[in-house]
Amino acid sequence: MKRKIVNLALSFIGPIALIVILSMPIGPLTGGLGIIQPVGGIFDNGAPEPGSQTITLTGLDAEVEVVIDYLGIPHIYAESIHDAMMALGYMHARDRLFQVTMQNFVAAGRISEIVGGYANSSDMFYRAIGLKRSAQASLDWYEANAGTYPEVAEELDAINAEVEGANAFIRTLTSATMPMEFKVLGYTPELWTPVDCFVNAKMLTWGLSGSIMDFQRQWIRNSLDNDSMYNDLFPDLMPYTIPIVQEQVNISYVDYPLAPGMAPATDDPGQYTSMALSGEAVIPEDKLEALITKMNDVIKPLGDMQFVGSNNWAINGSKSSTGMPIVAGDPHLTLQAPSVWYEAHIVVPGELDVTGTTFPGLPAILIGHNDHVAYSFTNVGADVADVFVEQLNPANPDQYMYNGAYRNFTIHQEDIHTKEGTVIPFNVKESVHGPCIDSIWTTYNLDSEDNPNLAMTWTGSGVTHEMIAAGLFMKADNLDEFIDAMYWWDSPAQNCVFGDDAGNIAMLVVGRFPVRAGYTGEFPVTALNDSVGMVSNIPYAYNPREINPSRGFVQSANQRTIAPDNYGYDILGPQANGYRARRIFYLLDNNDGISVDDMKRFQADVVEVRAEVIIPYVINAWDSVGDGNTTISDAVDLLRTWNYDMEPDLVAPTIWMYLLDAIHEETFDEISSVDPAIPLSRTPILEEFIVTNNPYYFDDHTTVPVETRDEILVRSLFSAIDTLSAEWENEPNWVYGNRHIIFIDHLAGFTYIGGGPRRGQNTIDVASGWIVTHGPSTRLIADLSNIEISYMAYPGGQSGNIFSPHWEDNFALWNSFNNVTKQHGYHVMYFYTTADAFRSADTNDSMIERTITFVP
Amino acid sequence: MGKIDDTIPDIGFLAALVLTIVFGLALQLAGDWKLMLIAGALGALFVRRTRIAFLVGFLGVGIAWSILFVYLSITAQAMAVADIFIGLLGLYGLGILVIVISVLIGALLGGFGGILGRSLYELLDEFLPSDSEEKKSSLPEPEPVEEEVTTEE
Repeated sequence: MKRKIVNLALSFIGPIALIVILSMPIGPLTGGLGIIQPVGGIFDNGAPEPGSQTITLTGLDAEVEVVIDYLGIPHIYAESIHDAMMALGYMHARDRLFQVTMQNFVAAGRISEIVGGYANSSDMFYRAIGLKRSAQASLDWYEANAGTYPEVAEELDAINAEVEGANAFIRTLTSATMPMEFKVLGYTPELWTPVDCFVNAKMLTWGLSGSIMDFQRQWIRNSLDNDSMYNDLFPDLMPYTIPIVQEQVNISYVDYPLAPGMAPATDDPGQYTSMALSGEAVIPEDKLEALITKMNDVIKPLGDMQFVGSNNWAINGSKSSTGMPIVAGDPHLTLQAPSVWYEAHIVVPGELDVTGTTFPGLPAILIGHNDHVAYSFTNVGADVADVFVEQLNPANPDQYMYNGAYRNFTIHQEDIHTKEGTVIPFNVKESVHGPCIDSIWTTYNLDSEDNPNLAMTWTGSGVTHEMIAAGLFMKADNLDEFIDAMYWWDSPAQNCVFGDDAGNIAMLVVGRFPVRAGYTGEFPVTALNDSVGMVSNIPYAYNPREINPSRGFVQSANQRTIAPDNYGYDILGPQANGYRARRIFYLLDNNDGISVDDMKRFQADVVEVRAEVIIPYVINAWDSVGDGNTTISDAVDLLRTWNYDMEPDLVAPTIWMYLLDAIHEETFDEISSVDPAIPLSRTPILEEFIVTNNPYYFDDHTTVPVETRDEILVRSLFSAIDTLSAEWENEPNWVYGNRHIIFIDHLAGFTYIGGGPRRGQNTIDVASGWIVTHGPSTRLIADLSNIEISYMAYPGGQSGNIFSPHWEDNFALWNSFNNVTKQHGYHVMYFYTTADAFRSADTNDSMIERTITFVP
Repeated sequence: MGKIDDTIPDIGFLAALVLTIVFGLALQLAGDWKLMLIAGALGALFVRRTRIAFLVGFLGVGIAWSILFVYLSITAQAMAVADIFIGLLGLYGLGILVIVISVLIGALLGGFGGILGRSLYELLDEFLPSDSEEKKSSLPEPEPVEEEVTTEE
């Protein structure tokens, strides 16, 4: 008996040990090894998609039919917008639950709850800037104003429907539908709440407009310690820029007296610009460097601001082969898997028939077309975030000076909860200028400031109304309705291209642009009273815009919005270098009878304008002062015959990449000799120096003789070829595509999409750097003469499941390139007004994959 | 109720193994690896020695999971899933290792379940009456008989 009790006790050792081992976190596998069981673990995620389904969705008013096409794109046919958005929410959660959860938790400063406490610095950053607080404030405003504005009530209903639909999916999660990533992380997703939609919107807004350039500018200027040189080498306005808006069209100030989002506006900016400027508030160098370093390390779901760019353009009937507008757009973001975008087509008879890309988690088609209008966006890139250095009360660091008295900071308790169960205490101080973004870093002991005092004013903070605009513009039937919808769009500032079936084209610069008083916005300042700051805004009526310009086309590529001489307000940059815009302008200006196929070719254009303008000077320099070195001569000969296309099978693009770096380094020794960490001047400045033969900056001041431009260009050739020969020692053919490769990483690093050679560089078909990790996040071409046959492709797939056939099928299209037609691949955006019409058109079963019927 | 081992016969190693495979398959469909302890324990009902119980559980669940993996490889990209998973640990291209480890884990769960089950049954049987005792207790008291007197020489 005793022996048997002992035997039983001993027999528990093995099972208990196994249970512990299989449940405990192992490295990145916090879900434990148990998930590798054949059923009920990760292997369920490889199962094929179910066929057609009927799913009960409590809360629907009527049945919703979702026809899923061969790319996994849902075509939602509903009786009301509420029902359509419920279905969209369900599909978002079904296909992108991990992505939405991650972006939401990053933005809300809660990612430590999923991945562990090591991510707490990211959480502190996002809690400091307060995206979640702003999201909650926005939701509160919507709820408070839904009774006053019908469009607010409609958008709130759409948001609630999106959330209800997503939660219907989350409540019925099974092992087969639970994303593999959550199994590995050992995390069970929460239900969504309406504020999560606003958090997602705020994340998008921060990603597109949340760059704090003040620190960078101050660091560069202070490091150079030479204001004249700083102004020469780091101007806000780039030379040779073709502005987006050249034929400004104001709309009625009487009809639109406010700034977007009902913000106050002024039609007399002169009263502010004439004020004396406050002096720059210098932040101690150690703190400045720490701030810049930390900000670079924060998780950025949309990628670095320097990679956030885009192209869009439209031609009207005078330029098109069809006699009607054609609209093109390709927003550039850091590429991720799954994609930032999720395609959908939503039909509500009599109310809505719109197709294009959604941002998962938001109930709107943000880029696409409806039955009358087409639209796409590029980022303005304006500086709309400023830093104010608060003057603290020496006796009480929880107070700051404002309007002649010390005020208390508002203190937000933002404790960080971690996956390990610990709580990291964290407070954010907020002044009248905004949250103190240096709440997050322990830099204070490095300098005289012991407490946070750097407050950020950002136009995206607090209540914003872009979701109302999105709910309206996708329903617009014409230009007037579209412009009216954009009166709500306050943040982020965007260049919105537009075309309609009445023949109109427009470039509407939408968003709220601050009017600054008492400072420029370039550098941190101390504002002790309310006369200094973002005191007002540009009235929407006077926002930059072009409508049916005489040249017959509109274009934008993140360059200067409008020439300062032609506009009464200041829009602070930095904006893009303008090379993509120059090429777009050239193509549209020099071609007529442009067809949809031409537009596809333009989107695939890889002419390097920088090379086009600089290389002739290099060749001339070599011919003038070169020493006949055969290696350099051979390289120069390759450049002579190059057509400036950045094609992966060529050698000249490789030489150009090294040459451009070398010319920068040889020319701007004035910068690198001060501190090699300072970024060198942007290429338009270099171009200007080359074209104007600037004697001062081409001289190498470390040597006695005075170097000429041509000598520096030849020296750059030697330097470039030396570096290239050394770095490509094992790849002597120097073929560009050997190293210019695309990699699109999975959000959690599980896998990647791509891996092959990629065309382009700083070209219309953008693919900067050597390892291409950002670029056109989608491509749209909408033909207003035949809107049913419009085109799109994006680098990814509809499904967030790595093992789905729709994980990367859209990428295959997007990445493909036809050497004969010179076009990338696209899919037709099926645009059938009823599910029956769609089915009837699918005569050979190649268009429709299956159907999900949602029933109340 | 009589003793467990009196009630459930020892059907031999092979038959018990087949039953354990069936238990392993059926319980794994519930999607909880802890149930493999029960699969092994159920298999142990049909053998008597602890070592055999371990083997029946180990091989039974191991074979059951192997069958499932073969099926999943054909129908549900099990190898692709395994490849991605092992990649997380930096061992690219060794997806088969995940499946081998998984099968081994299942087998160990079954084996330990077998040992646990056998130990449990044997202890329980200590408290349960045997069939013969039960029968005995249900019969009427026999008449006393005169015992033969034996003497030692």
